[in-house]
Amino acid sequence: MKIKYLKIVSVLILVTTLSTSCKKYLDVNRNPNVAEVVDPKLLFSTTTIQYVNLRASGDLWVPMSLVSQAVASNGNTDGTVWGTPSEEQYDVNALSLGNTWRYLYASTSGGNLKEMIRLSESAPVKNNNAAAQAKVLLSFMIYDATVIYGDVPFTEAWRADVSYPKFDTQQSVFDNLIKLLDEAYTQFDEASPLKVSDYDLFYQGNIAKWKAVARSLKLRILMTMVDKDPSKAAAIGQALTAGGFISSPAGNFQVAYPGIAGRYNPKWGLYNLYNSGQSFFGASKWALNFMNPINDPRRAIYFEKPATAANYVAPEPAQDIDPAVHSRINRNFQHSGQPEVLFTYQEVLFYQAEAYARGLGVTTDLTMATTLYKKAVEESVKHIASQSKDVAAAATATAAAASFAASLPALSTFATNREAVKYIHYHHWIDKMDRGIDVFTQWRRSGPEGDEVPAITLPPGAPAGGLFRRYEYPITNEISANPNAPKDKILYNVKMWFDL
Amino acid sequence: MKKLQLLGLFCLFALVAFAQNRTITGKITNPDGIPVSFASVTVKGTTKGVSSDVNGNFSIDVARNSILLITAAGYQNIEVNVGDQTVINSMLTAENTLGEVVVTALGISKAQKSLGYSTTTLKSDEITKARESNVVNSLAGKVAGVRITSQSGTPGGSSKIIIRGQSSFSDASGGQPIFVIDGLPVDNQSQQLATAPSAVPQGTAGVDFGNRAGDINSDDIESINVLKGAAATALYGARAKNGAIIITTKRGKKGAATVRFNSSVRMDKALRLPDYQNEYAQGNYGVYALNSVNGWGPKISEVQDLTFPNFMNQQVKLQAYPDNVKDFYKTGMNYINSLAVEAGGDAGDFRLGYTNNAQSGIVEKQSYLRNSINLNAGRTISPKFDVRTTLNYVSTVGKNRPIQSSNNSSSLTQIIHFLPRTVDVHALKDNYFDPVTGQQITLTPAKTGNNPYWVINNNTSVNNTERIYGNLVLNFKPLAWLTISNNFGTDVYNEFRKLVVRPGTAGALQGSFFQANLFNRVLNNDFMITADKKITPDLSVRALVGGNLYETYYRRDQSDAQQLTVDQLYAFTNAASVTTTNISNKKRIVGAFGEIGLSYKNYLFLSATGRNDWSSTLPVENRSYFYPSVNTSFVFSELIQSTVLSFGKFRASWANVGSDTDPYQLAFNYTPVSQLFAQYSQGSQFPFNGLLGFQIPLTLPNAQLKPQNQVSWEFGTDLRFFKDRIRLDFTYYNTKTTDQIIALAVPNSTGFSTKRINAGSIKNEGIEVALGAKVLGTKDFTWNIDVNFSKNTQKIVDLPAEIVTYQIASAYNGLQVKARNGEQLGLWGSAYERDPDGNFVINSNSGLRRTVTDQRLGNLYPDWMMGISNGFMYKGFNLSFLVDIRQGGVMYSGTIAALRSTGLAKETAVNRENNVIDKGVILDPVTNKYIPNTVPVQSMQDYWGQYGSNSAATEAAVFDASYVKLREVALSYNLPSSLFSKQKFIKGVSLGLEGRNLWLIDAKIPHIDPEVNLFGTGSIGEGVEFYNMPSTRSFGFNVRATF
Repeated sequence: MKIKYLKIVSVLILVTTLSTSCKKYLDVNRNPNVAEVVDPKLLFSTTTIQYVNLRASGDLWVPMSLVSQAVASNGNTDGTVWGTPSEEQYDVNALSLGNTWRYLYASTSGGNLKEMIRLSESAPVKNNNAAAQAKVLLSFMIYDATVIYGDVPFTEAWRADVSYPKFDTQQSVFDNLIKLLDEAYTQFDEASPLKVSDYDLFYQGNIAKWKAVARSLKLRILMTMVDKDPSKAAAIGQALTAGGFISSPAGNFQVAYPGIAGRYNPKWGLYNLYNSGQSFFGASKWALNFMNPINDPRRAIYFEKPATAANYVAPEPAQDIDPAVHSRINRNFQHSGQPEVLFTYQEVLFYQAEAYARGLGVTTDLTMATTLYKKAVEESVKHIASQSKDVAAAATATAAAASFAASLPALSTFATNREAVKYIHYHHWIDKMDRGIDVFTQWRRSGPEGDEVPAITLPPGAPAGGLFRRYEYPITNEISANPNAPKDKILYNVKMWFDL
Repeated sequence: MKKLQLLGLFCLFALVAFAQNRTITGKITNPDGIPVSFASVTVKGTTKGVSSDVNGNFSIDVARNSILLITAAGYQNIEVNVGDQTVINSMLTAENTLGEVVVTALGISKAQKSLGYSTTTLKSDEITKARESNVVNSLAGKVAGVRITSQSGTPGGSSKIIIRGQSSFSDASGGQPIFVIDGLPVDNQSQQLATAPSAVPQGTAGVDFGNRAGDINSDDIESINVLKGAAATALYGARAKNGAIIITTKRGKKGAATVRFNSSVRMDKALRLPDYQNEYAQGNYGVYALNSVNGWGPKISEVQDLTFPNFMNQQVKLQAYPDNVKDFYKTGMNYINSLAVEAGGDAGDFRLGYTNNAQSGIVEKQSYLRNSINLNAGRTISPKFDVRTTLNYVSTVGKNRPIQSSNNSSSLTQIIHFLPRTVDVHALKDNYFDPVTGQQITLTPAKTGNNPYWVINNNTSVNNTERIYGNLVLNFKPLAWLTISNNFGTDVYNEFRKLVVRPGTAGALQGSFFQANLFNRVLNNDFMITADKKITPDLSVRALVGGNLYETYYRRDQSDAQQLTVDQLYAFTNAASVTTTNISNKKRIVGAFGEIGLSYKNYLFLSATGRNDWSSTLPVENRSYFYPSVNTSFVFSELIQSTVLSFGKFRASWANVGSDTDPYQLAFNYTPVSQLFAQYSQGSQFPFNGLLGFQIPLTLPNAQLKPQNQVSWEFGTDLRFFKDRIRLDFTYYNTKTTDQIIALAVPNSTGFSTKRINAGSIKNEGIEVALGAKVLGTKDFTWNIDVNFSKNTQKIVDLPAEIVTYQIASAYNGLQVKARNGEQLGLWGSAYERDPDGNFVINSNSGLRRTVTDQRLGNLYPDWMMGISNGFMYKGFNLSFLVDIRQGGVMYSGTIAALRSTGLAKETAVNRENNVIDKGVILDPVTNKYIPNTVPVQSMQDYWGQYGSNSAATEAAVFDASYVKLREVALSYNLPSSLFSKQKFIKGVSLGLEGRNLWLIDAKIPHIDPEVNLFGTGSIGEGVEFYNMPSTRSFGFNVRATF
């Protein structure tokens, strides 16, 4: 009998031993698949790529290019076109509204940059440059967020103590972005070796260039605000005096796509996946109406015309494309390695030209404005050409850039100042034609309703009620989850603060 | 030495005792070899008696030549002449089902009558009557409160099982019960691999790789016991809050070695294919266009004087091929052959089974092969010690499982179901590549649509699972009333997957492939001490304490290769880009549990359990949680004499169980990024230009998570009338699962997509009725009817005020499964805008209906379900059929949406040449009032286009998901035993015809089988079909022989 009890006791001992080692046994909840500590630069690369992917993707580039009629979607007769109704008829997929928001704010995006700023500034030795680099990129993203959606969360976004960030007015978002850019500009420390360099896909750690793009973005914001808030003219004047903008094509703020599998420009990825590499989109008639009379050398870069066609002809919006007649977006331009462009030297020049033409914070000076806009166009031709993989065509366009610019009219020859300014706007629009949200914003800021450049009209098949003015807020990604979000639905055709 | 002497003395006394009174020991079992506990063993003609213990063992001192009377409620009484025997093992046969012993949680056998909760047991013949390659499907329609949804007609495809309504907002199992085989909780995942984002063709989005319960071989199963409520499963704790499927495998039966052979041959056909129009060719607005893969072209009969180019660029007269979709599908074959050898004696038993299940799909080149070996062997080492082991080896090979859903150019259904009516599928088959160039001949000159036979012949896949599971049970009985047992088990498998896309495929011109290894392991050990005592002649007590260690480990290595250089060489070194990812996770649970059971006079039973779990997944301060349960059963028929009521029992139970979460949800970490999304494109993969990328978590972790909690209670009654000719079981249950661990969608402006919190509750309340009757019963002919009915009402409560809706799952076009307080889970999407009177609001510009986003489109789940089975027996013939009914709930069909918007569905041919003025109202801009619509839709193409465009209301393709199905028909014939009496080799032969999923008798949804589902079984989501492979009907016959 004793042996039996012994056995029972020993089993009980075993159980006890097991339970004391329980704690150790249960401590397996440390995730082996993730890092507990990272260098801030590792967050920067993610957000950079997510952001340029969004700008070039079917969520932002396709809808924005179509609603602003920078490309044409065309009818259904040919399986190789995007088809109608489409985003051109303001039929924007709710997923795109949500994805765009997510890829500006959430984990791979704004949230990641905020964490990068926190990590950089809380390190034993502060990495000021990394924090400032993140602030500049974040400013770009939130500038896009507000020009896409209007009022957006900013001052309460990404804060651990706020579950439901409030929506700031667009004006306040712009003002806060200017503050953030000034803060970053001051924070940059060219002498410090601490910075993101190898993981900086824009400038490889060239802080001088970062400072220039911070200044340039500030100018863009002021130029976006000034029509609604004329008091910003003074700030524009100060900015022009201070200078420090991107001063050459080498300072262009863009990300090159390697052009190999899994690292394509998403525009080309779309064609490659679904259209055997050919563009889904026809040329915009608003572009060719302007470019054809002046034999714009950018035409041959942007578009490919059918071998049988004598001229570049754009289909009307929603018109069936005729493969023998109509031009499409050039597959040598939107190729796998095309860079995604966020800010260029010529954009600075266009703003400067506009400021001098309009007298924004500076004395009106049409001669200066003429020089600047012609320089802008010349740089635009070279920059657009530089993106083409058709080496011969690019060389031809580049060679023609200077003479083409010189051939353009002096601004003094226009009947009115407004006509002259509109001419600058049209070239600015052509320059940004391939940049989705940027061309859409350029169109909206080019004049009050009914006097925008170009004077696009409601496309056939679009609902009555006016032109497209904004993305509606995404229901699932924000509105339904945020009690502080605007309660009333703001429709796509309602103008936002800066849009007169 | 002294001890030896004592022992000698003891033996001497024993011998003396032997001469007068002898101790008889024995074990009482049912015909399945499962012990019958608490059976009464009395000496006939005396009052002397004992009862069997929990393991069916008894010991009694009797005089020589006594007669033992063995009785147990629910069993027929037997008498045994003791004679010279000292060991008497007896087998009781059931008087009715209530006498049966069922296997409950942790493998504990209990008499059915003692249970205070409802369970349903299916016997092996029920399961193999009409074989299903996935054993889960064989439960469909047979068990009240159990809902089965198969995902597709993919060979070896998966099936989901939900008991008593979905009780989770988020659960890695999809809210499914655990599967326990011979006491071992086994894995039943349906693993989804995300590959390169969005549209990458090698993606497994929508490929149904099956669920792991599909590995279980139905021929090896002795019984399946469905434990529905928490009271039944409380001893398993967290793992079984969704119920448990307790599977007992077959053992060798006592007697001479027997060989059993079973062979089934089955033919599978697509159950339902869409109804097509056959009048119109491809094109637009009546004009032929080869690049438009649709049905909006000219009327074929009106252009017979013209010729048009076909996909091979031949000028041909247009002609409809009404069967071009039907002809694409072939008859799938399924051969199931199984062989088992079994034997048993007093000291041990064994059964060795081998089954080969070879299946070919309804699409060429699709196949599924499963080989399984099962060993179940037990041995009594000494009177106090026995050991049993089960060992299973399963190998499955699935080839070319179809890619379903959208956004993938290799998705076969997306091609096949939308072929223009004028395309000859035979011509596609004979001309899928150019013999000169080797290039694909695509459906369109623009190379936008793949030739389905290019996909079938080139874009192939394989998945191969090697799995071993089994356990070792040791039983030690130091004292007559005390048993110590240990059950150790493991379930280990590795699944290899490879999918290739040949260069030249539209949508992936440069080719790609991926392969992955998925390793999974479950370790489980249950240690138990059971004491069993009769305190007074009327009162027995049984107490149990035990401990459990449980670990799951998972590891995945996956590589995605893109841009191949050498054609058809799927080597990583042949790819321009390879992205490799590896992840693993581990979770452990330690449990301590106990149970105490009282039984009084065979009619009153009470059992209480308690378990405490410690889970590695929860914060240290919250990782321990306790849950109790209590249940009681009262067999009131023992107290009344009635000729009408032959048996009556009332049962009631209450249970409270807790549950944990998935590993690694507590700490804030940085995740390495392998790829980033870009809509409609392939996105970007890392390293990008040599750079890596990290990101903060998508879900804000929560270091203060608490366990989820579920409280449930049920009561019911089991009644038998007229000597069991009529049976009625009724159950009412009520379950509330609170503190759900959810990933709550948060405003993205917080920087996160979701945050992990405890919030919200799901209440499920319902009734289950099982009614059975022996309608006719003569010597030669019997007719039985069994009906089961269940109705579950779900209600979401306790979502915090700021959470207006909670998203459970999402699919294409804004479709979502969401929860909102006061409702059951619903399908959400865009709906038609309606005026205050409920009329459609029409866009005055286009004449089309206006839509509004984010609307609730209907209930996800049925109002009620019913299964009706009839069984007829005439001499050696046995005929049974089962009708399965689902009433209520809605589903969305992507296939129907696309069939309509592409002008291919039959209904789109109606009124094609005319305009239509949709019934509805338009808003008068002047008066701002709704007036009847007078604006015509420009064309029927535009009208039906509303079903497919981005802004189209998803409501347009939402349908009532009700159906009535003839689920199963089986006819078998046992050859008369007289045929075999002259030889000793063959002992018996039975022949059978069997059919599964034969006939969709009624359905509200057109074109498709309402049972298919886009979401995997691991998702809570259901109710969405998106280009799923059609489900199949099967018909076949089988031969069973015993040697």
